[in-house]
Amino acid sequence: MSCELKAKDRTGVINPIFTCQPAGAQFVSIGVKDCIALVHGGQGCVMFVRLTMSQHFKESFELASSSVHEDAAVFGALNRVEQGVDVLLMRYPDLKIIPIITTCSTEVIGDDVDGVVIKLEEGLLKTKYADREVHLIPIHTPSFVGSMISGYDIAVKDFVEHFAKKADKTNGKINLLTGWVNPADVTELKSLIGEMKVDATVLFEIETFDSPIMPDGNHVSHGETTIEDLESTANAIGTIALNRYEGAKAAQFLENEFDVPAIIGPTPIGIRNTDTFLANVKKMTGKAIPESLVRKRGIALDAIADVSHMFLAGKKVAIYGNPDLVIGLAEYCIDLEMEPVLLLLGDDNAKYGNDPRIKALKEGVGFNMEVVTNADFWELENRIKNEGLELDLILGHSKGRYVAIDNNIPMVRLGYPVYDRAGGFRHPVVGYAGAIWLAEEMANAIFTDMEYKHNKEWVLNVW
Amino acid sequence: MPYHQFKCSECIPERLHHAVDKGETEDLTDALPLGYLNTIPGTISERGCAYCGAKHVIGTPMKDVIHLSHGPVGCTYDTWQTKRYISDDGNFQLKYTFASDMKEANVVFGAEKMLKKNIVEAFKAFPEIHNMALYQTCASALIGDDINAIAEEVMEEMPDKKVFVCNAPGFAGPSQSGGHHKINIAWLNQMVGTGEPVIYSKYVINYVGEYNIQGDQEIMKDYFHRMGIQINATFTGNGRFDDLRCLHKAQLNVLECARSSEYICDELRTRYGIPRMDIDGFGFEATADSLMKVAHFFGIEDKAQEIIDAEYARWKPELDWYAARLKGVKMCLWPGGSKLWHWAHMLKSEMGINVVSVYTKFGHQGDMEKGVSRCEPGTLAIDDPNELESVEAMYELKPDLIMTGKRPGEVAKKIRVPYLNVHGYHNGPYKGFEGWVRLARDIYNCVYSPAHQLVNLDISKDEIPTDKGFVTRESLSDANLSDEIKNSTELREYTGAYDPIPALRKKAESNVYTFPDPETGEWRVVPVETLRNSKIVDVE
Amino acid sequence: MDKNVAEEKMAQLEWYITKHCLWQYNSRAWDRLIQNERILTKTKQLLRGENAKDEDTTADKYYWSEAMSLQEGFKRYFPWVAETSKDDIAQILDLLKERMDHTMVHASLNQELVKEHY
Repeated sequence: MSCELKAKDRTGVINPIFTCQPAGAQFVSIGVKDCIALVHGGQGCVMFVRLTMSQHFKESFELASSSVHEDAAVFGALNRVEQGVDVLLMRYPDLKIIPIITTCSTEVIGDDVDGVVIKLEEGLLKTKYADREVHLIPIHTPSFVGSMISGYDIAVKDFVEHFAKKADKTNGKINLLTGWVNPADVTELKSLIGEMKVDATVLFEIETFDSPIMPDGNHVSHGETTIEDLESTANAIGTIALNRYEGAKAAQFLENEFDVPAIIGPTPIGIRNTDTFLANVKKMTGKAIPESLVRKRGIALDAIADVSHMFLAGKKVAIYGNPDLVIGLAEYCIDLEMEPVLLLLGDDNAKYGNDPRIKALKEGVGFNMEVVTNADFWELENRIKNEGLELDLILGHSKGRYVAIDNNIPMVRLGYPVYDRAGGFRHPVVGYAGAIWLAEEMANAIFTDMEYKHNKEWVLNVW
Repeated sequence: MPYHQFKCSECIPERLHHAVDKGETEDLTDALPLGYLNTIPGTISERGCAYCGAKHVIGTPMKDVIHLSHGPVGCTYDTWQTKRYISDDGNFQLKYTFASDMKEANVVFGAEKMLKKNIVEAFKAFPEIHNMALYQTCASALIGDDINAIAEEVMEEMPDKKVFVCNAPGFAGPSQSGGHHKINIAWLNQMVGTGEPVIYSKYVINYVGEYNIQGDQEIMKDYFHRMGIQINATFTGNGRFDDLRCLHKAQLNVLECARSSEYICDELRTRYGIPRMDIDGFGFEATADSLMKVAHFFGIEDKAQEIIDAEYARWKPELDWYAARLKGVKMCLWPGGSKLWHWAHMLKSEMGINVVSVYTKFGHQGDMEKGVSRCEPGTLAIDDPNELESVEAMYELKPDLIMTGKRPGEVAKKIRVPYLNVHGYHNGPYKGFEGWVRLARDIYNCVYSPAHQLVNLDISKDEIPTDKGFVTRESLSDANLSDEIKNSTELREYTGAYDPIPALRKKAESNVYTFPDPETGEWRVVPVETLRNSKIVDVE
Repeated sequence: MDKNVAEEKMAQLEWYITKHCLWQYNSRAWDRLIQNERILTKTKQLLRGENAKDEDTTADKYYWSEAMSLQEGFKRYFPWVAETSKDDIAQILDLLKERMDHTMVHASLNQELVKEHY
């Protein structure tokens, strides 16, 4: 009975779990109002990121490219950043923020993006756009460093660092850094702290990613976090960054620079982690946890009791995706008496070894468990096909769908991107609501599998 | 010159010459949008990169190949499970993708050793696969890795493996199209002429520029096989690596998507004397004419006529059922490169649809010549459209639907214009006779969606109709139809399967196709094993 | 045939080509001139009931196939084609060739036509 943390021992990647840094930075930038990022690199670095977003959210998001072509790759492409900024500002009159997100190509050719931002600030912005508030934020996300996760982390920090401005007094709010989540997660988190009468600056306000078709106008999806929100992060009572790898850098920055105390984690997945989250909010704000949340929690526990020891107990699960999501899910699965035997983290972040949650798993689990870093889908598939790994359930995003399909293993789609199930972004995984949805969705996936395989499906005749 | 001035692009004068309104009396010598020029940064263009044009459009549809991209992981991630090019033997090409996963240390110290290890690992993981396509990306191209040398080394050490190298980094050209060109020429130079195929028919073609989206290639393959024509290789949908090494051994190149693969046809014509015959596999008349034209080449007109008669009899009443109901529908036909000209006229002549705008993301001026020619006066033609221009055009033209890609489709949705996916298709295949009915059916379902009728009602202001719990598609589509058409016993809705491809594969399994012996000309059954897996002999 | 009448009939054939054909769009000027010459000459020959096969090559077979399809299309769409005299056919087809060379090559706005390599 042990839990082992190890890196994938192959060099290459067979079916990647993550994409690269610029995608994470782009995901951050769509959460901000009046903001269109200019991604400095080849056009594919934007086109495909937008495509994946549109597959996940069934919405289109605005992101621009500096369109680096052959000549630019040879002679340097800063002129294309200058032109790109100008074109965006001319054509989008409400645009205030243009993050300039680098990629592998422009980092390799060594384009001085910070320099060109200063040049634009001194030149173009002062002359042509003197009457407009415009912020250019260089964000360095070379694709050969880290992953989409670190790209997200860096971009949140760069946004906060650019705007955070100390005022005379606190704003009476907490900063809530959600990490890479879905609109429904933000709704659930706001509902939880709302019950506690706590006001928060949420980074990022992405509930509007689920946007309507309206009888008039053009309701383009974008986040609602404003410049004022970002500025006032320096004046919060404290920061809670729910995810250690997606937003903690910004929380740390606010603490170091503006003495805004930070609490990092835990990712509030499952009852226990949500309890801790509420305890942290209480500690930070002094606000009590009201009866309404006791009820909400009770409903979740009631739902869990219906499915956990009868259906979920003993089920072997593999989980892959964003590290905080994967670890949070693993913790919750253990509470549900399941055995998350394999966790796959798609990058090689050296910090995983010191993650207290991983340490706790190493010390505490009562079954054999592997945590593979720098992992790809072959780590999962090879174990199933060639090494005898038996699984009852897979949890993860849609890119791994064939592992489940081809091996007849039920799967619950979670994380990003989910494009092969409708409305994935509409369900929370965090908080008590997330705990309910997860437990029931896992049970339902197993029920469908029982019926499909005629495996004691008659149990459900009388459940 | 009737150039079209978008209000949103007045501030970028270079854009003016990228859009025209086709005039009543004008022809191609009066106006033609510019094309294939560098993108204006910051316009929010819809273009992708050369790498994706090479790897994702042309390379990956090859089905028995390890597709390995040398670079950071994102390029690989993005070009995996984002298109619908299926194959008839298990979809390896959809399910697996490979990245060398270049990291910072590789950028600094070089990545060649790591790449070699990578290649070996990939072959080891899939011992049954003997072919690899190795793709350069921006990062690996810029650090100057000599991936050709690595490929040579591997092939020397693993003599049963073949590695094709494609040097089309993302920045190599204004759009995807740069990559189409590069991989065409690379394949021709490296691979063509290295194999000797089994020739089992007197009539041998290459089927070029066909990517088997949702089974398009398999539909057309059925027609060609019914005519006794051997498809030596398909470039590249549902194609085998080895077959494609024998491209030089056909009598004729039958070309569909000239945008992505006219280069290899032109070179095969120059170097090997194989004629290039452009065809249209979309639409009844176009497909029939195309089959007959190929038949003329081989002198097998009766074979083509048999198919045309049978297919018209089977499917024309179904096409006409939709055509009666689609007449006058306004469409923006906004694909990537070739569908604007493949489809524009057939949509008009066979479904009565008014194509009010065409655009191409990565087409050249040649595509615009075809597209503009094939649509009617008044059509707005746009090269390298951007987001604001598309929205402006939709507000101005008020189309009933747009045919475009997934993400631009989401843009349209928000201004209450429904969309059909023209890249991966909604419920394809769309090629051939049955495919064209499927497209008509999808357009019909899209335009007459009863739920879609509700999008313009503002319940806060408008009077809410309260007399209905539902509305049928037919009540919307048939409102102005004559009784003759409404009550016709000839016309009928689509009666095919959800997926017509499994039946075609099953048909092939039962050895129904006969071909004339190349020597004797005697028609005989050629077993499916030969059709599918005939052994290619290496030649130096 | 009166020139105006011939022009009008030529325009009908040109319409057919723009809506149904792709052979006129090869990507280089020299290539387009050859396509126009070979295919339209053979079409003229076929419509005049003459031999249209010049040599036993795949290239010739190809041009002949295009011409066969083209003349079938012409006849299908325009019944007058079958009833037109050989001389008049020659006049109309020569105009058509001139017209195709003009729009597709000499007056073409396609800047790629003059590029050296494919």
